[in-house]
Amino acid sequence: MSEFSMSLYNARRRKNLFAKAACVAATGIGLAFLALILGVLLWKGLSGLNLAVFTEMTPPPGAKGGLLNAIMGSVIMTVLGVIVGTPLGLMAGTYMAEYGRYTKLTLVVRFINDILLSAPSIVIGLFVYEVLVSTVGHFSAWAGAVSLAVLVVPVVVRTTEDMLLLVPGGLREAAVALGMPRSLIIRKISYRAAKAGLITGVLLAVARVSGETAPLLFTALNNQFWSTNLNAPMSSLPAVIFQFALSPYKDWQQLAWTGALIITVTVLMLSIIARVLSAPRAQK
Amino acid sequence: MNVQVNMTSGVDAQMAQKISIKDLKFFYGDSLALKSISLPLYDKKVTAFIGPSGCGKSTLLRVLNRMYDLYPRQHAEGEVLLDGENILAADQDLNLLRARVGMVFQKPTPFPMSIYDNIAFGIGLYEKLAKSELDGRVEQALRGAALWNEVKDKLDASGLSLSGGQQQRLCIARTVAIQPEVILFDEPCSALDPISTAKIEELIDELKSNYTIAIVTHNMQQAARVSEYTAFMYLGELVEFAETSHIFTSPSQQKTQDYITGRFG
Amino acid sequence: MSDHIVRAYDNELELLGRKIAEMGGIAEQMIADAMDALGSMNVELAKKVVASDVRLDTLQREIEEAAILTIARRQPMAVDLRNIVAAIRISSDLERVGDLAKNIAKRTIKIGSESRLPRAIVGLNHMGKLASAQMKDVLDAYAQRDVERAQEVWARDAEIDALEDSVFRDLLTFMMEDPRNISFCTHLLFCSKNLERMGDHATNIAETVYYLVTGNNLPMDRPKGGDWTGLRT
Repeated sequence: MSEFSMSLYNARRRKNLFAKAACVAATGIGLAFLALILGVLLWKGLSGLNLAVFTEMTPPPGAKGGLLNAIMGSVIMTVLGVIVGTPLGLMAGTYMAEYGRYTKLTLVVRFINDILLSAPSIVIGLFVYEVLVSTVGHFSAWAGAVSLAVLVVPVVVRTTEDMLLLVPGGLREAAVALGMPRSLIIRKISYRAAKAGLITGVLLAVARVSGETAPLLFTALNNQFWSTNLNAPMSSLPAVIFQFALSPYKDWQQLAWTGALIITVTVLMLSIIARVLSAPRAQK
Repeated sequence: MNVQVNMTSGVDAQMAQKISIKDLKFFYGDSLALKSISLPLYDKKVTAFIGPSGCGKSTLLRVLNRMYDLYPRQHAEGEVLLDGENILAADQDLNLLRARVGMVFQKPTPFPMSIYDNIAFGIGLYEKLAKSELDGRVEQALRGAALWNEVKDKLDASGLSLSGGQQQRLCIARTVAIQPEVILFDEPCSALDPISTAKIEELIDELKSNYTIAIVTHNMQQAARVSEYTAFMYLGELVEFAETSHIFTSPSQQKTQDYITGRFG
Repeated sequence: MSDHIVRAYDNELELLGRKIAEMGGIAEQMIADAMDALGSMNVELAKKVVASDVRLDTLQREIEEAAILTIARRQPMAVDLRNIVAAIRISSDLERVGDLAKNIAKRTIKIGSESRLPRAIVGLNHMGKLASAQMKDVLDAYAQRDVERAQEVWARDAEIDALEDSVFRDLLTFMMEDPRNISFCTHLLFCSKNLERMGDHATNIAETVYYLVTGNNLPMDRPKGGDWTGLRT
């Protein structure tokens, strides 16, 4: 090897080293912030974590209490939102990937869905407020659930379409070659092959929605008391955190930290489950 | 090229034609992929399609069960008569057609379900059978595909757990199970090792007493081994159709000769 | 003929062709030398003929091995397959022709000391010329892939057969004339049989050439007595 090429090689090595260092540093900074957030959350949240949080209602200022009504509210509205939004999203995604794969309509729907996917949630809250709250005259859990459903749909549409498109064309052709009708192929072959991906999509939608505050403030508002009446305002964790964190009271602030910890851990768990489910099944 | 001259050696008026392809043209969008193909598939004979990549042999195969209907901007003109009935007709019921004309693909495509269900599924599409009867049919299909002895103790295992060669035989069993009249093989051995390939070839040899078979293959020796008739295609045209023994020992067309002897540039 | 994508394949086929040509040359020379030796009772020349048969046998083995290797390696098809099959067949025909010439030479060595009856050899000489010509023509036909010429050789074999009949009758006459001629003439009888067999091998080669070029076989029964109208269809 000549002298000249050696120097070129060394220069390239230095550049490579520099780029590598920059990447590591950037990753480190990002991770450090994440660790900081999680650390503070754990530090402040864990200290307020006790059985009462899960068994007692949100207290008035200065009193002892828990987050039971907020947790219940969040669960009820999230479940309702997912129940309403998932079938819509699944069906739309299925249409796009299976029936209408090459149609113009699919292009249009995909474009609009992407807009919806990235739309600020507060806009959606405002929309539902106009449609379901101001017309009816009062806030309600229904309206909250609907606004969450509107958030669920685009996520599920996207993942459903993507996952169905990932099903090998050969599998579909093989089923077609047996003379199987379309609907049966979708149910028995495509869904089955994409099962893990579809569940992941729904879980991701749940994770996305369970932390939303803005749309709920406009729709379900909040409720300091235990309520399962879907026609009335309902409490939710994000809304309570929002309210308590901004308050001057020490007890409320503590509950807000604890609530934040609960949401974070829940979302984290959902993400991990989703990741495990969608991991490539190399062993099969 | 004069089709009349090309085909004299291969067309036998005495033989029953299961499928008659007449003046078939095929388009991908605006581009012509098959240029007026005419040839017969004789009843209960094996016909091989050979030719360099992109010559249209797979396209032709996919016309025979109208697989191309799945995709936009593809269409066929001309006639493909299955027992005298034009399958290109607009009112052709595609599912029924595909039940009569089965297909085995290049890559094994077991469904994501048990070995048993892989086969029972297809049968269930057309027949309502009691469990015991269904068991019998599944066994019969697996035996027909020379797979029974290897899987009889693990019918509940996933079809994906089998080896590549076994998966391909499972796919053949699945196709045979619904009792088609014609079976199309699209390079069925290109992903398999030589032993698995030999097993598939043996299978084709057994199947030809009951089915009309068309096979696309890149392996000329395979075409020579398994088929009774061979069609050589080039650039979307049928160059020569003749008895396999004729094609591989003394083809009539220079182009065929150049291709099968490895002189193609 | 255009070339194969794999050039080594061309080389293998070409080598086969060259070895056949070499065998053909040797076989022709052996026929000519054997007949010369017989005509002039030249024992030295006869011994040379016997010696050159070794080379012919070696070549035949080499061709067979090379052909088998090529079949195993290339799975030849169509014209290539016919080429290789032709090489195997022709080489074995030529090897047999060599054996027959050697046999004539060996007989020459045996009867060289008791030379007599030169007139008995005239017919044999004629047969030898015909066999040589047949061999030359058919080898040319092979080299040039000339079907017409191969067919001519094929049809002409009847002449040698007819000639053998007359030689047989002549030798029989000589033996009846004088029993002392019997041993000598019996050797000559075998020589005439050998020459007739050479003609048969030339015919075999002609059939092989016809198959090599056209992919078809000539009819089973050859027209007798120079009538080849049946061929011109």
